[in-house]
Parts: sequence; C-alpha cells; structure tokens
Amino acid sequence: MLNKIDKDAKLFVGGALLLFFLGGSLTTIVPPLVDKSWGKPFENSDPAKGLTGKLLPYTAQEKKGLAIYTREGCWYCHTQQTRTLLADTKRSGWRGVDAPVSTPDEFVYDQPHMFGTKRTGPDLSHVGGKYDAQWHRTHFRNPRDLVPGSIMPPFPWIADNEEEFNALVAYLQRLGRAKNWRPDNDYEK
Amino acid sequence: MEEQQVIESTPSGVRTATTTVHTDATCKWFLISSVSYFFIVGIIAVTIAAKFVWPELLGTVSILTYGRLRPLHVNGMLFGWLLACDMGLTYYIIPRLCGVKLWSEKLGLATAALWNVIILGAVVELLAGHTQGLEYAELPTWLDVLVVIAWVMFGTNIIMTVANRKYEQMYVSIWYTMGTILWTAFVYITGNFATMFTTGVNQANLNWMYVHNAVGLIFTPVGLAIAYYFIPRASNAPLHSHKLSMIGFWSLAFVYVWTGAHHMLHGPISQWLQTIAIAFSVMLLIPVWSVVYNFFATMKGQWYQVRDNVSLKFLMSGVVFYLLTCFQGPMHSLRTVNAIVSKTDWIPGHAHMALLGCFSFFAIAGTYHVLPRIFNTKLYSDTLANWSYWFFMIGGLGFFVTLWLGGFWQGWQWNNPSIPFIDTVIALKPIWLVRFFSGIIMFCGITAFLYNFMATILNAKENKA
Repeated sequence: MLNKIDKDAKLFVGGALLLFFLGGSLTTIVPPLVDKSWGKPFENSDPAKGLTGKLLPYTAQEKKGLAIYTREGCWYCHTQQTRTLLADTKRSGWRGVDAPVSTPDEFVYDQPHMFGTKRTGPDLSHVGGKYDAQWHRTHFRNPRDLVPGSIMPPFPWIADNEEEFNALVAYLQRLGRAKNWRPDNDYEK
Repeated sequence: MEEQQVIESTPSGVRTATTTVHTDATCKWFLISSVSYFFIVGIIAVTIAAKFVWPELLGTVSILTYGRLRPLHVNGMLFGWLLACDMGLTYYIIPRLCGVKLWSEKLGLATAALWNVIILGAVVELLAGHTQGLEYAELPTWLDVLVVIAWVMFGTNIIMTVANRKYEQMYVSIWYTMGTILWTAFVYITGNFATMFTTGVNQANLNWMYVHNAVGLIFTPVGLAIAYYFIPRASNAPLHSHKLSMIGFWSLAFVYVWTGAHHMLHGPISQWLQTIAIAFSVMLLIPVWSVVYNFFATMKGQWYQVRDNVSLKFLMSGVVFYLLTCFQGPMHSLRTVNAIVSKTDWIPGHAHMALLGCFSFFAIAGTYHVLPRIFNTKLYSDTLANWSYWFFMIGGLGFFVTLWLGGFWQGWQWNNPSIPFIDTVIALKPIWLVRFFSGIIMFCGITAFLYNFMATILNAKENKA
C-alpha cells in the first residue's frame, strides 16, 4: 500500500485529501449540528434554571463599537472569555460577586468573534457596566492616569471623537450583560 | 530493489545533479522579495516589542499603534517572509527532484509579481485598520481572493512539474510539497471565506482550525519538505529511512486537522470537542518524533560537518527547535498545563520557536544553500553567515526562554485571584525588556543575512564559481 502510493500521484492526492476532510468535517461541520447552543442566543426567564436574561442582537451603535474594537486590534491583548477556571470567574467578577462562566450562547451575534488568544490586559468578557463613560474617556486618553503601571496604548483619536467614543463605550457596556449576574443590578452607564 | 530506488531519489544521489539546466528565475525573485520583507517586517517586530516597554512610543499616531502594527508583523512574517521564501525554495527543489525543468517560468514570475502586490496591499490595508478581525486572517477579502489566485498559480506550476517528472518514485519532499498545496487551498478557504458566514463560537472554531493548520498543514509540511531535501544535500549523506518518512507524512496528514479546538480549552466551546482536540494534539508526537528521528539518524557520523557548514547549523538547530516546540504543543493541550500557560506570554515564546526557531531556520538554511548555486557564484561571506546564525540563535533563545519563564510565572499569578491584575502586568516588565533586547539581537541576524544575501547577488558577476 505504502509502496504503491509512493509512485502514484493520483492515489497520493486522494489519500491526502480523504484524511483532511475526515478530520476537517468531523471537527468543524459536525459540532454545531450536535451542540445547538453554538447558534441559539441565550434566553432564560426561570430563576430555578440559573441566571436569567436574554442575549439581544447588536444595535447599530454597538455594531459600530465592535467595528472600532476590531479596527484598533483591542482583541490582541484582551480576551473575552471567562473560562471554567475558578480564578477566571473571580477576576471577571465585580464587587465580591463571581462572574458566570462564559457559554457559547452568549456570543451568537459576534461577527467577528472576539475570544482572543493573548491576555496582556485583563479579560473583558464581563466588563459591561463596571466603569462609567467618563472613566472610559479618561482611560482612552491615557490609561496610566487611572491605572498606574498599565502598558495599554493611549487612544486620543477615539476619546476626542464623540461618535466613535460613544459607539465603543456602548459596545463595551453590553459585554457580559446577557446574563443578569449582579444581584444588586449595580451596572454603571 | 527498494533500497536502490531510495538511494537514487535521495537528494544526495547522483542522478538529480545531471543534465537538466535550471534557470531558477522564479526562485530568485521569490527569495529576493522574501528576504527583503524579512528585514522590513523585522523593524516592525522590534517596534512592537519596544511598545511593551515604552507604551507611549509612537502612541498618538493611529497607524503606528500596537493594534495596527501587530497584524502587520504577523502577516508580514508569515506571508511576506516565510511562505514566500518557502515557495521560492520549492521552485528550486521540485524541478531537481523530478529531473525536469519547472513547468512554466513565466507563470512562476507572474506568481512572484502577484505575491508582491498582495504583500504591499496588505501593508496599506492593515495600517489603515482594514482588518477582518480574525487571527492570521486579518487581510481584507480582496487580498484573500488574490492569495487564492496566487496559490492556484503556484500549485499548478508545481503539480504540472511533478506530473512531467522523469523519476517514477517521488522523494518525500515532493509528498510534503504536494500535501502543502492541497491542504493550504482548503485550510485557507476555511479560515478566510467560510468564517464570513458564521458567528460566535462556530466562527471561532473555524478560525482556530485555520490558525492551527496554517502552522500544521502549511508551514510544517513545506518546512519539512525543505528540511528533507537540504539535510541530506548539505551533509551529503543519504536519508536514513524512506519508510519512516512515509509514516511521518501519513500520520501528520491524519492527525493535524483535528486539533483546532485546543486553542479554546476551558473556554466556551463544547467539552467533548476540547477532549478530541487534546487527544489528537498528544498524537502529534508520532509524526514529529518519526521525522526528528529520521533527521538525527541521517546525521549519524556526520555531526562534525555542522561546525563549518552554516546551512547545516541552521537545519539541525531548526530540528531541535521543532522537537521542542512540538513537545510543548501537546503538553499545552493537557487541561492542567493549559490552565497555567494559556493566554500568557509563554504562548508567543512557543509560537516564535515554531515559526522562527524551526521553520525560518529551515528557510534561511535553504536560502544560504541555494543562493550561490542559482547565481552561479560563491557566498559573499561565510564568516558573516556564521555571525547571522549566532545572532539568531542567541537572540532567539533569549526570546523563547525569557517568555516561557515569564509566561509561566504570569500564569501562576493569574491563578491566584488575590493578586490584582495590574500587578501581574508590572511583574512582567523586566521580561518584556529582555524580550526587546533579544529582538534587537535577532534583528542583527536578519541584517547580516540580508547584507550577505544582497552582496552575494551584486558580486555574482565578478565571483564566478
């Protein structure tokens, strides 16, 4: 078999593609068919079943915010996933409340997805409502004014552009808000 | 009988060096442009490393901010330098292994021209912030389309050359090259076009399948094709085992494509898919170790040659880095290890060992080897080439080792939620400073490499070999 495939280019091409499509289709096409939560937006109104809430589609302004977030490459340094690690739920938490673990149904409208691979700055999966707009404006002008030791670049061209700034903040404020995870409902605006 | 064929089709065999005259015009242009991009993108690489130490640096100009330069660094190194250099070397290797001329030099030159259009287009678009927002797939759609066209032109040329080959048996480098051509087509389409029709986790899954296989099914097979050709060639020793190379190839073909989800371990993606990705990631040890054993066994009794042969220095160091990076990979995919190293600075240390330490070393080795041959001259300076090796080696090790230590430490700190996040950033500052200086040393390596390369070409007329 190995000897034959060694001399026959057509057999070789067939074999190489067969193995590729076997693994490729089983790991990319099949999973969303098996696991429906990949495509169904989060919705729960029964407190007995866990946190309540509903994932809404992006508004035009939030969508613009996501586009700015993408354009500036925020996602190279900030992940958006609270993983199944105790430390992640604590770090994404706020005022003594642990954040819930991120689930696929919270990200159904994300295009492009912003899960990220590198965490140079903190994870932003539950940043929505933690800081108010004024905090964000100061922070974008110069992050070190609010967080000494930060290495985030300044973004004055966003802080000084009312439309872009509002869109970006609108996007940030909705992150992690599909599930009502803060019992006191103490979200900043 | 089989033994006989193996020897004949090995690059060190006598037959490949005979009558066919190769013009190598396509190879020349791909190498010249790729080595130039290596230098230019190297400047960007050092700049973004500096931004970790001095965050205000160039910070108020939007097109020079970290988020714009990083995709330019990644795409520039991947496609402008490494893939282009690998393609150039493929245009050199395949006609020689087949005993015929390249199917079409004209088509090859057109491919080289188109490739340069793509890279220059990418520079403008990425600096302007026109990105698809997906890792390794940042290029806007019109450039993606051009990449596919260029790839079809490249593939057609190589496959037609193979189809017209004089020797029936295909040496393992031909397999890896053809595998690269076929898989890349589908991997690239999945990562750059299929993602347009999906969202959220579904899109992320396709994205990671692409990212992982950009390394596993593009840079790995073409890099191994190069190593399989140049290790026996540069050491003038026949490949240890053809059969083992086949086991390596077919296990790679089977295993690699399943592993994409290991980029989202512990993340919001189905647990069963994470487990599959982990199982197949561990299985990667099979193709890797069979390849590495084959290379080491080929070098048995030949190691003394490494001292005076720069190509072999790069090649064998690349093999060691390949072994290490592909040991790290399966280990990272174990849930417990992943909980510490994932998302930390360890990961760029790992990724740079694969793409710089291993595959760029192979490409540099191949370039040093073919350069005097295609220009019918001798290398401008062996001493300078040796210097470039030590710059890359010392700078590279400084980079990798510092980031592993720093990343591991960072991961432990993250797992202790009583440490405020900003303290874990401040803790890493010395690490980033060392990384910056390591980058400077590597950049000296790039500069020495470029200078030697260009000087060889410019002096080719006087220094006839």
